Amino acid sequence: MLFGRRKRKPIVIPNKTVKEWKYTTCNYCSTGCAIEIGIDEQGKVVTSRGHAGADVNRGKLCIKGLLETELFESPGRGTEPLIRQRFHEPFEKTDWDTALDTTANKIKEIQAKYGRDSFAVVSTGQLLTEEFYTLGKLTRGCIGTNNYDGNTTLCMASAVSGYKRSFGSDGPPGCYEDFEHTDCLMAFGSNLPEQHPVIYWRLKEAREKRKFPLIVVDPRVTMFAQFADIHLPITPGTDTVLINAMMHVIFDEGLEDRSYIEANTSGIEELEKLAQDYNPKLAQKVCGIDEDTIRQVARLYAKADASMSIWTMGINQSTHGSDGVVNINNLNLVTGNIGKPGGTSLSITGQCNAMGTREWSSCSGLPGYRYLENEKDRKDIADFWGIDPEFFPKKRGLAQTDIFPAIESGEIKGLWLIATNPMTSMPNLPRIRKSFQNLEFLVVQDVYEDVETNQYSHVYFPAAVWAEKEGCHTNTERRVNLTRNVLKPYANSKPDFWIFKEMAKRFENGEKIEFPETPEGAFNEMKQLSVGTGRTLDISGMSYEKIEAARGIQWPYRADSETLKGDPRLYTDGHFQTASGKANLIPVRFVNNNECPDDEYPFWLNSGRVVEHFHTRTRTGKIGNCNKFSPTPYMEMNPDAAEELGVQHQSYVRLTSRRGDAVVMVQLTQRVPRNMVFIPFHYHDCVNRLTLGLLDPYSRQPAFKQCAVRIEHVDQEEAARLNAERRAY
Amino acid sequence: MFDSKDNPQNKAERFPGDDLVQSSQADTQSKETKQKDGSTLWEIRTEERPYAFLNDPTHEETNRYGQKIDLIDLTGLPKERPMFINENPEVGTNPNRNKQHGFFFTADNCIGCHACEAACSEKNENPAHIAFRSVGYVEGGSYPDYKRMNISMACNHCDNPVCLKGCPTKAYTKHAEYGAVLQDPETCFGCGYCTWVCPYNAPQLDPIQGQVSKCNMCVDRLEVGLKPACVSACLGNALDFGVVENIPENREQAKTSIPGFPNPDITHPNIRFQQTRTMPDEMTRTDSMPVKYHKNEEGSYSPVIDQKTGKQTFWNLSRLSSRENPLVLFTLSAQAAIGAFGITFLGSLFGVESLSSFSQSSMYIPLGALSFLLIGFALFMSTMHLGKPIRFYRGFNNWRYSPVSREGLGIAAFMGTLGAHLAFSLPNNAVVQDLFLSITGTSFSHWFNLEMLANIATVFGVLAIPSGLVGLYYMNRCYRIEARPFWNHWQVATSFFGNMLSLGSLIAGTVVITTLLALGESISSSLVVFGSAMLFGLLLEAVGLFFHNKDMLKGEHEGAASHYVQLTTFGKTYKARNALIAFNLVFITGLLTSGITMPWILIGWGIAGVALIATATAGRALFYVLVIPTTMPGAFFWKNKGFEEHARDIGLANMPQVGVVPDAH
Repeated sequence: MLFGRRKRKPIVIPNKTVKEWKYTTCNYCSTGCAIEIGIDEQGKVVTSRGHAGADVNRGKLCIKGLLETELFESPGRGTEPLIRQRFHEPFEKTDWDTALDTTANKIKEIQAKYGRDSFAVVSTGQLLTEEFYTLGKLTRGCIGTNNYDGNTTLCMASAVSGYKRSFGSDGPPGCYEDFEHTDCLMAFGSNLPEQHPVIYWRLKEAREKRKFPLIVVDPRVTMFAQFADIHLPITPGTDTVLINAMMHVIFDEGLEDRSYIEANTSGIEELEKLAQDYNPKLAQKVCGIDEDTIRQVARLYAKADASMSIWTMGINQSTHGSDGVVNINNLNLVTGNIGKPGGTSLSITGQCNAMGTREWSSCSGLPGYRYLENEKDRKDIADFWGIDPEFFPKKRGLAQTDIFPAIESGEIKGLWLIATNPMTSMPNLPRIRKSFQNLEFLVVQDVYEDVETNQYSHVYFPAAVWAEKEGCHTNTERRVNLTRNVLKPYANSKPDFWIFKEMAKRFENGEKIEFPETPEGAFNEMKQLSVGTGRTLDISGMSYEKIEAARGIQWPYRADSETLKGDPRLYTDGHFQTASGKANLIPVRFVNNNECPDDEYPFWLNSGRVVEHFHTRTRTGKIGNCNKFSPTPYMEMNPDAAEELGVQHQSYVRLTSRRGDAVVMVQLTQRVPRNMVFIPFHYHDCVNRLTLGLLDPYSRQPAFKQCAVRIEHVDQEEAARLNAERRAY
Repeated sequence: MFDSKDNPQNKAERFPGDDLVQSSQADTQSKETKQKDGSTLWEIRTEERPYAFLNDPTHEETNRYGQKIDLIDLTGLPKERPMFINENPEVGTNPNRNKQHGFFFTADNCIGCHACEAACSEKNENPAHIAFRSVGYVEGGSYPDYKRMNISMACNHCDNPVCLKGCPTKAYTKHAEYGAVLQDPETCFGCGYCTWVCPYNAPQLDPIQGQVSKCNMCVDRLEVGLKPACVSACLGNALDFGVVENIPENREQAKTSIPGFPNPDITHPNIRFQQTRTMPDEMTRTDSMPVKYHKNEEGSYSPVIDQKTGKQTFWNLSRLSSRENPLVLFTLSAQAAIGAFGITFLGSLFGVESLSSFSQSSMYIPLGALSFLLIGFALFMSTMHLGKPIRFYRGFNNWRYSPVSREGLGIAAFMGTLGAHLAFSLPNNAVVQDLFLSITGTSFSHWFNLEMLANIATVFGVLAIPSGLVGLYYMNRCYRIEARPFWNHWQVATSFFGNMLSLGSLIAGTVVITTLLALGESISSSLVVFGSAMLFGLLLEAVGLFFHNKDMLKGEHEGAASHYVQLTTFGKTYKARNALIAFNLVFITGLLTSGITMPWILIGWGIAGVALIATATAGRALFYVLVIPTTMPGAFFWKNKGFEEHARDIGLANMPQVGVVPDAH
């Protein structure tokens, strides 16, 4: 002790008495970090830590994962099933049997009265894969509605659609390890440090070892854009123009990989023809990136030994989302950057198990990337489940974003929402709120009974969360990882798996189809369904033990695999899941159908996530050490534009669009251009009161990020009051 | 019992992670590093990665300020001794445990992801409103040439720990182990003085718990060779940690300052920076502080005023009331008490005629008692300002270093000697004598030697004067804080001693003159003494304020920003106060020099007195409300005083997850 001190003062540091560490996978985003939860002698959760031996996160976690164990006991959790006759009456507590019986009877009643498809099921990317598979069995096999989809339509549908169109099948072909091999990385509308900080860390580690060019395409100067070697501040919604112009340069200068194109792709002629129309001289006027920079970037990308693209919502959430993905795939195919280390089209996925629902939930088809449109697929699954193939529809029903308009128009009368909060997450909320009032029956199944959508429900199922359950997630790089059951479900909440299984018993086909008692039983069924020659989605070699031992295994991982490592990449042999076996080069012509700023609504409204938010803040909003960094809605606005309008830093303004209005606090920053404002999208009653959300023609994903707004002055005290009231939980 | 000597884990050559670090061509490699069973120190993760292990094969002899890095010689303690973390007697295995460690922050890399803050809060189980580490930022440039620089900051475990020196309770210890500056919340009484003196906002005063806590350097992790939790959690490869002055692998700079970081000369902080990216000439803060940073000739950044609220001037009288109100009352009453007693006592001692006759009067004791009550009230106010008033007695513990302790000692000594002076003066008081006589039937003189008692009283009275002056001197020293440039000016002394004279004269003068008038004696010499003292006190204060204004106007620091707030947000109040002081100076001079007679002279002094109370109170309130510390930039919500105030105003603060503590009342 220095400074003449002799007397020892106690050093007290919280001491977490961990008896056992339990293995889990993070339940927030799709990075797929392994987390160990520490429990004490009494089985109480006392702490958690990143698993240092897991390849994905290598011991690291982001703010949400670090604080994730706090959510088990957070306020607002559902304790008992709730029931009421009308949504404007108060809820009453009920028992599970009554809640399930009432719901089953209502579903049957509505289906009997209005037809089988008049009851819709909208699920999520938040459940475990075994639960998705079981929900698929229940919905496709027992309830038999064709209007069944997930909220993944809001985040990943364009990636799915783009992958299917280019490669014949869904499934990101690359992996995080590609960062260690690539010679050029181009990020489209992806803000890794904020959205996927652990993936960013993997990239940073790779770049600290071996510097390679990083190109970031983003209209905002995000931290990622700032750290990029080249930042392209693009005009919103014009990514396909930029890529077409890049391909123009590539073809023009003969930089394409001709041998790869010829061996592994079809459609090059049309693509080359299209690219001729996108001379950078013209393209620069549309996409806002000058022609010299377009040429520089095109050359850099094409000349690198291995180049890769990553993207997130900047591409997916636009009217050309699917086209954007296809065009990124085009760029990588013509430069020979698919299926090789460091050369890939890697969509950075959103929700923790968006991949699991894509693979196994039967939302857009049947389990294991099977199609309703395919007779053999229908028969295989019907046989496996033991039902009549004719019970399945022969064509996919409505996408999630089409289900709400169908409620509006009265085609759909009943709805089951599972772990999703459309009252916050859907674009054009005024319209959604109105349509909810049309429903004859709404059942909400969620971890939180204060989830905003619950205000319109007739029955509420309290669900267990994360490690209160057991099962798998699949991450962005196709890695299946396990969450062990660590603790009992909160109060009288139940695992979603149990809810689906119990609901199935109340339907006729539920008697015929076997519903395994445990998630592992369901996993074994999935394994059996994944066997098949040429299938990429093959998990037949996996087991819970192997997954835990390997801390996650990438698919394909076949039964004969000898190591604990799955295939890191798809399409390494140049064979694709299309009929011809070749990848499709699809020309993408840009049509500007966005609501662009005009005299009346002069600002672009851009939206996005911040690192401490997730899934409409139902969870993160209650964890103080997450929420405190952005507890109320705010808007980034350019100080020069603000000066003109007399708008002050840290004052409130009211935004209006052609749909509605929102009150936000102003944060002045040069991060955004003069004609754009940016608002984080997880706040209830905020950005989605303004958004238009035009749908992508292929993926039906809404264009959240492009619409026009106007800024109005507002009485500061009234705005403050509204703000406080809208955050009260 | 665990024997550290026999455990190979505790020997330097088997430092966990050494093998990993040395053979780390790829950190994809990982290895079983689980601790040997039996160790009760921090549990190293299964397959822990090299990034988490400390790696300091060599180190410098001294740091750049000449301070030895190996601290053991400075203490004379044995090398292998336990830190007793949570009373655990096991000795750590870290071979560098006696060397000064510090954070290394690559400002070029921080992404502002909050992982460091979250890892810290999880490990230390801190509620949302407390953070040992916080990330704020500065930004500059123009779209798209925009740069934002995030700064993650915790405690810098300084060579010159101003917190340790300032803390009156000795709650802080700087350990030879790692040079860690640790604080014991159970010793702390929540005065918050450490939060005033620290330039980095490291000590966290919890208004709910009523005590301070802070970064503990994760010494439990260091003991087993692991970097602190925040460093291990960093996702931008920005935060690092090791023996100070060592530059981590892959880094090339070790600067002591970056834009937004306070002048390192104040405390010699144990943090080094890399910041190679060129930043715009001007970097602004998003929080409400009217401070920005301007690139100077040396290429580093100095704080300058950011006129965030324009140039409009306001009264904002209601905002003069703050949580420091008890300190306004404490300082003013202490100064008044010392002045009132001192002037009367000394005046009488030095033979001012009317004062001598007053001190013979029976009203002398009530005036002394009034001073005694005032100083008692002052001490009560300062105690009520504590988070844990019951622990007030600890305030004297750090008299060796802390001006707060010395201030307390001086004021307590003043109160004690004044009390004794009064007690020994009682037998000579006519009223008391009469009372004694009527009750006991005997006179005091029968029992006591009255002259001896009077002499003893005089001795205590004489002792009270230096006690009070020493108390006031250290009261002034308390505010001479380098991290608070608005305060760190000799104006504090002129204001405190000036108020001692002016307010003391006002109080004593009121009692003395009333008494003399009642006795029908002459008041003229008293009027001259008290009036002159008041005038001189006021003049002292005015001169101080004049030069303070001058220095703050040309200053390039947070003090200048405080002054900007003084001239705008409180501009009208400030000007009115100054005008009133000027008026009073002229007015009092007039009263002293003109031949105005009774009763007008009394009315005149009444007006001067009221004006004096108004200027003193407003001035002192401004003094506390205005100060802008030299501290880390905040973010838009977190560590933004403007948002915190707003969240309290509109009720958002009532939700604990907002991370703002609501007002207690």
